[in-house]
Amino acid sequence: MVQVLFAVIMFCVVLEPFPALGETEADLRVEVVSTFNGPRRSAATKGAPYSEGTIDESSQFRVAQGGAAERDTEEDVLRDPFAERDKPAAEETPDTIADPLEPINRAFFVFNDKLYFWVLKPVAKGYGAVVPEQARVAVKNFFYNLAFPVRFVNCFLQGKVNGAFMEMGRFFTNTFIGAAGFIDVATLTGNFGKYDEDLGQSFGSHGVGPGFYINWPILGPSSLRDTVGAVGDAFLDPISILIDPSGYTIAANALDLVNNTSLRLGDYEDLKRAALDPYISVRDAYYQNRKSKIRE
Amino acid sequence: MKPIGLYRKFLFFSLIFAIATPVCAGVPTEKIKDTTEKILSIVTDPDLKGPDRDKERKALIREVVDERFDWEELSRRALARHWRKLNEEQKKEFIILFGKLLERTYLDRVEGYSGEQVTYVNEVIEGEYALVEIKVLTTKGTEIPVNYKLRKKGEDWRVYDIAIEGVSLVNNYRVQFNDIITKSSYEELVKKLQEKVAEK
Repeated sequence: MVQVLFAVIMFCVVLEPFPALGETEADLRVEVVSTFNGPRRSAATKGAPYSEGTIDESSQFRVAQGGAAERDTEEDVLRDPFAERDKPAAEETPDTIADPLEPINRAFFVFNDKLYFWVLKPVAKGYGAVVPEQARVAVKNFFYNLAFPVRFVNCFLQGKVNGAFMEMGRFFTNTFIGAAGFIDVATLTGNFGKYDEDLGQSFGSHGVGPGFYINWPILGPSSLRDTVGAVGDAFLDPISILIDPSGYTIAANALDLVNNTSLRLGDYEDLKRAALDPYISVRDAYYQNRKSKIRE
Repeated sequence: MKPIGLYRKFLFFSLIFAIATPVCAGVPTEKIKDTTEKILSIVTDPDLKGPDRDKERKALIREVVDERFDWEELSRRALARHWRKLNEEQKKEFIILFGKLLERTYLDRVEGYSGEQVTYVNEVIEGEYALVEIKVLTTKGTEIPVNYKLRKKGEDWRVYDIAIEGVSLVNNYRVQFNDIITKSSYEELVKKLQEKVAEK
């Protein structure tokens, strides 16, 4: 199993050397911009047809300056200097994720919807009534802190050396000063930035597109790339069901799920209320959110 | 004595700087700030609390939101290529419907206000376009990045898109609208919008 992880890591390394290795600027923004000036710049100026996570999506300044002249004037009304360059607002088909499995995905969407309203929500509500909010935030912090190895390794895979050290600082601060991670001291003191990186994002930052959309039962929205990423990350996750399907990990994951849900009650309801087609809205929100995370 | 004097000077300047930063932030940020503060003053007003003042409170918020949001621009961008095919009548109808839906969505969000803190992170101005980045810190300790995109209209700046956690509202609706129109028809979209707005 370790070999698989190693293979995945090697795959990333071979795919592209770390673009910003040795970059220790404190500011993430600076780090990202410096990446843009790196080897990928030429590829992006050509306007790669589908390049999630490459520079032209990310650099708003450059998009605004470079994009204006190339854009046709007829659609000037839809001009958005802050949108990605290779997917202008006026394009014939909107920028979205491929969804060849839509019928199955929709079926699981209905399933997950029912699961939320009939099972998860009532349980989370009951749990929330017993456990005070502060304690639930602490539990959330604990689980987040525990998954530190995933973020640490993926910072390196994306060449965010600075981010890796920030995450390490966070982990030690919260583990030793923050009562085993229950208190997020690192955020309270503001000394360390947060780098919520995963393998799906690492793939994305190396130019791997999402493939297509997969809406898993129970687990919810994902893509081909991010599913592969999640499997890879499982090797670094101390409480992964995939690696260790024992009673303890199942219980821990169930607690994590119920706890998180109890802190986010109402979000899904709001989304459903605002959407004309909740399935599409969730799918697009997932796609856009992942894209912005890869851009960071 | 000298070090203390220096320290004082430093303190003085850092104070000035701290106060001056938001002022220097530029007009678009000022506009967003102004709107946010107006809305917050309405939702936190004890005189306007309670279900009996519901209508009044909502009307007040709506007024403030209408001032800042450019419903036509939002509609045009959300429909994208389908917008051109509409006649003036249809455009007007759509702007009203979509505006109502967005207003309600926005109202839902601000009505649930429970002491979240707003910080102004960054501002980018690109000709007549502006991007205002803010961060909302929830009471549960999560930070939510919110980006407002504005366009200059005369002397005013009006919002044409909001992105929450990287998810642009206009993009999200554009994909939905396009899906409905291509799978059925524009008429079907209007019907769905009407049903949605009529929902309680």
